[in-house]
Amino acid sequence: MFAAHRRLLLLTVITLTLLVQLTVAPELSVGSVRPDILLVATVCWALFHGPGRGTVFGFFGGLVEDIFSTAVLGVGAFGKTIIGYFAGELKHRVVSRSVAWPMCIVFVATVLHELLKFATWTMVGLEERPPFSFGIIAGMALYNALLTLVVYPILARVAASEEKAMLFQ
Amino acid sequence: MIERYNRRQRALVITLVIICVLLVTVYSREDKEGFLHRLQRFSMDVVSPLQKGMSKVLSPVKEGIEFLVDLGRARGERDRLREELKDLEERVHELEEMRRENETLKQMVAVKEANPELDYLVVEVIGANPDAWEQTVQIGAGYSDGLREYMAVLSEDGSLVGRIILCTSETSVVQLITDEKSAVGAKLQRNGEMGVLKGDGGGKTHLELLNQDADVQTGDVVITSGMGGTCPAGIPIGVVTEIGEMQADLSIGVFIQPRASMTRLEKVLVVVNPLPATLPMAAEGRN
Repeated sequence: MFAAHRRLLLLTVITLTLLVQLTVAPELSVGSVRPDILLVATVCWALFHGPGRGTVFGFFGGLVEDIFSTAVLGVGAFGKTIIGYFAGELKHRVVSRSVAWPMCIVFVATVLHELLKFATWTMVGLEERPPFSFGIIAGMALYNALLTLVVYPILARVAASEEKAMLFQ
Repeated sequence: MIERYNRRQRALVITLVIICVLLVTVYSREDKEGFLHRLQRFSMDVVSPLQKGMSKVLSPVKEGIEFLVDLGRARGERDRLREELKDLEERVHELEEMRRENETLKQMVAVKEANPELDYLVVEVIGANPDAWEQTVQIGAGYSDGLREYMAVLSEDGSLVGRIILCTSETSVVQLITDEKSAVGAKLQRNGEMGVLKGDGGGKTHLELLNQDADVQTGDVVITSGMGGTCPAGIPIGVVTEIGEMQADLSIGVFIQPRASMTRLEKVLVVVNPLPATLPMAAEGRN
C-alpha cells in the first residue's frame, strides 16, 4: 500500500517537474542558458530520500526528458541517474538545514551533469553536438543553484507530508 | 542489513546505468524511422500544444526577464558611451586648443611679415604677478635664450604689451604698459603728435602729449614713437577712448584703451633685434 503511494508520488512529482521543464524552462532561458529544473529536482529529491530513490528519480526523470526532446535518448537519463545516486549519498553527510548546501550541491551537480553529457556524446560519436562552452555551463550551474531556492522548499514539504503519511500508517 | 541495503542500491544504479547505455547505443545506431526516434517525435507532438499555451501565459514573465537582462546590458552600454563621450570631449578640447594655437601662430607670422626688419622670439607667458599693485607677467625665457632688459614685448597680434624689466637665466618679468611705473614714447598715428604713454595701474593707460594744443580725437590710433630707445617705432599700442578736461598743470587727459588684452596673454613676441638702445648697467655688464 505504502509502496504504491510512494510510486504514485514519484510519478506525480516527475510528471509535474517534466511539464515545468518542457513549458516554463524555455521561457525562463537567458541567452543560451536554460535552467534544468529536472536536475535540480533530482538533486533535492535525492537529498531528502537517499541514493536509492534519488537514482530512480534521476533515471525516470532523465528518461522522460529525453523522450520529450530531440536529444540522444538515454544520455539525460544516464547523467541524472548518476547524479541522483551521488546526491543521495550526501543525504546523511549534510547535517545543516540551510538551503545554501543544496544550492552548492546543485551547482556542482550541474557542472558534472553537463560534463557527463559531453563525454557521452563524444563516446557515441555524435556529430552534431553543440560546441563546448564552460561559460554556458557555469551560467546554467548558477541558474540552477538559484532555482534551488524555489524547488528545495517545495520538495521539502512533499517529503514532510510523505513522512507524516508513513507515521499514520 | 544496512550492507545488504547498500548493495541493492548499487545494483540498482548499475542496472539503470546499463539500461541507459543500451538506450544510447540503440538510439544512436537506429535510423530516423526507428522505434525510439518515432517515440520521441510522437511525444513532442503530444507536448507541443502545452508548450505553446504555456509560452503565451508566461510571455509577460519572459519579457520581464528580458527587460532585466537588457537593463544590465544598457548599463554597460551607458558606461561605455560615457567613456566614449569623455574621450571625444577631450579630443574636441585638444582640437580647440590646436585651432587656437594655429590662429595664434598665423597672427604671429602676419606680425613678422608686417615688420620684416624686426626679429622676434615667441615666448610663453608662465605667470602673472600676484601683487595687485604690480602690472607684470612672467615669461618662460631669459638670458640663456638671448633676452635682455628693456626689450619690447608684443602680443600675438603685434600690439605693444610692455617691456622686460628683469631677466634671469630662464625667465623674465615683463612690465605691462598698464603698470603705473611704465612710461613709453608714443605718438598719434594720424598727425604724429608726440607724447609719453603712462599706465594707470587699473588696466588702462593715458597719453601725456608734449603739445598741449595738439589735435586729438577719440578713435585716434596711438603707436610707439621709438623715442627712448627701448621700443621700435610704429608698433600699435591702442586707441584714444576719452579726452578729458585740461588740468591745472595745463595737461589734458587722453585715455587710451590698449589693443592687446593684458589679461589673456598666453604667448608673446619679444623683439630681440634690434637690441634696445638703452640698456641698464647690469644687463650691459652681463653682456
